[in-house]
Amino acid sequence: MSGNPRAAEASPRLQETLSAFEAELDRGSVPLWIFNDPEVHRLELERLFPRTWIFLAHESEIPMAGDYVTRNIGEDSFLVVRGADAAVRVMFNACRHRGTKLCITDRGNTHEFICPYHGWLYDSSGKLASVPNQRDAFKGLDAGQWGLIPAPRVESYRGLVFACLDESVGSLAEHLGDFRWYLDLHLTLTPGGMEVIGEPIRWMIEADWKNAADNFSGDSYHTQTVHRFALKFGLVPRATAGSGGNPYDVHVTECSGHTTSIRQLPPDRPIFWGYPDEIKALFANSTLSPEQVSVAKGSLVHSGNIFPNLSFLHVGGTNDPKKPMIPYLTLRQWQPRGPGRMEVVSWVLAPSEASDAYKKRSYSVASSQFGSAGTFEQDDASAWSGIARTAKGVFPRRIGMKLNYEMGLPWMSEARIKQDWPGPGIVYDSNLEEGVQRTFLRQWARLMAKP
Amino acid sequence: MAPMPDADRLAQQFAVEQFLYDEAELLDDCRWTEWLTLVSEDIDYRIPVRSTRDRQAGVSDFSSHAFHLVEDHGALAVRLGRLSTDSWSENPPSRTRRMISNVRIKENSAAGIAVRSNLLFYWERAEQSSVLAAERRDLLRPGPTGFLLRARLVLLDHTILPTPSLSVVL
Repeated sequence: MSGNPRAAEASPRLQETLSAFEAELDRGSVPLWIFNDPEVHRLELERLFPRTWIFLAHESEIPMAGDYVTRNIGEDSFLVVRGADAAVRVMFNACRHRGTKLCITDRGNTHEFICPYHGWLYDSSGKLASVPNQRDAFKGLDAGQWGLIPAPRVESYRGLVFACLDESVGSLAEHLGDFRWYLDLHLTLTPGGMEVIGEPIRWMIEADWKNAADNFSGDSYHTQTVHRFALKFGLVPRATAGSGGNPYDVHVTECSGHTTSIRQLPPDRPIFWGYPDEIKALFANSTLSPEQVSVAKGSLVHSGNIFPNLSFLHVGGTNDPKKPMIPYLTLRQWQPRGPGRMEVVSWVLAPSEASDAYKKRSYSVASSQFGSAGTFEQDDASAWSGIARTAKGVFPRRIGMKLNYEMGLPWMSEARIKQDWPGPGIVYDSNLEEGVQRTFLRQWARLMAKP
Repeated sequence: MAPMPDADRLAQQFAVEQFLYDEAELLDDCRWTEWLTLVSEDIDYRIPVRSTRDRQAGVSDFSSHAFHLVEDHGALAVRLGRLSTDSWSENPPSRTRRMISNVRIKENSAAGIAVRSNLLFYWERAEQSSVLAAERRDLLRPGPTGFLLRARLVLLDHTILPTPSLSVVL
């Protein structure tokens, strides 16, 4: 079916900004206004979110035939359904008859999606199974032509289900590229892999999704300021959230468009994020290479961003200094909900083999630090909202106000390419650099500039 | 158990309501340390994640595994300690107003008094504001100054929270 190509045009001003963007970025200069602008938002919905791989769900959210969740690509609603054949399908959440939203629940289990308008019934594979009064009203209807519209591409990696609305984009494996080396550290530590604990937490932040993705790309510089209470209260080790520049900290930039920031202890201390012995014992059977294990071994915390808007954080912490630290893995998606506005969808995952008691405690620490009531998250969200407040301003646009993204450029900082690092990407030997964030914005600009 | 005489029921209703209003006052006035004295050492405080589900499915909207907040006494003490001292994003502090209404005593048992009430929670900070609506299900026990809060389950009316942070206790 033909689309509406004219809808995706950019104004001359935005075109000019986008064509100059990468050269400016390489000099460490980014305009403030892109972080709260209606036209930027509209163009992201038309040029970015439909033309790359977008995370939808973890397989462990829909384990049984008929399980479904409703999720968004950009601001479009899709059904993510485990069919009777065990395949996961992603289908546009609209009835083919009059287009009303087919499913208005968040999750459930069914093999019959019944439209609330005229009762057209689709099965869990999206096939139009029946329409009321078919014999009299629709005797010539070819049901095969009127099933739910599938997302053109659906693929999974290590339990993460992604979809892409563009036929011409390469595979998920190509999109994740070399970054799979880092993803595996989090997702394949144990033979059973990670599974979600419960439903995701969802909440609104009055800030642009790009500021969150930018932060999780590897903003190591903010932790000592914004999260300083965590150190004061003993909620994370000093090495996790203290000042940057520790010799065992690295920033992985330009890794197939994705990035990660890693803090480690010296190699003689096999901390593995603080996993207890009964879980560490399972790592011996993982499929990780010796090089990957060597990185996992010293790891205190990894944060990162999978372009465009899926971030992760794997860290050990506690919500009560009288109780021991425990690791948690959180995945979070920053969904656009208008200029300068986002919905956060945050999952907590744990090794599937872990005990119920471990999962409960890990979850409770995770939610106390990151999530709608997360004490760390609040401090971040507050800063990001402040950016939304200024970025929409008239004055900064008039003067073309530019932000400083210079940290880590050779003439500005001490960070250098790390020697003897076993993983892919352009890797720096210090987290006092912002190439991680420039990587994210570079990918953004390239997709946005493509007509 | 024999039904309570009306006079006793009225007295209990009044005492429970006053406790909830006093407790809300402490929270709205940011008197966190004093609020903690109204909470039992074995407090179970939780706000489950809510998902919209098909009514026919007979499954609760509220999660048994996912929570906005699920904290014990130690965790609450640290959370509130942060608000009192060194919270980056709570300086200047949020302004809150808790409206408690529809207080219903559901049951008296050895475990305590089971109370349901409605909460309308107003929050404001830095030119942003939000209103949350919820039902609270509390378990109260006798305490030194009246009651102690042994358990609170906050059943939100929201699946996507319209607020950037539940930095304070509901």
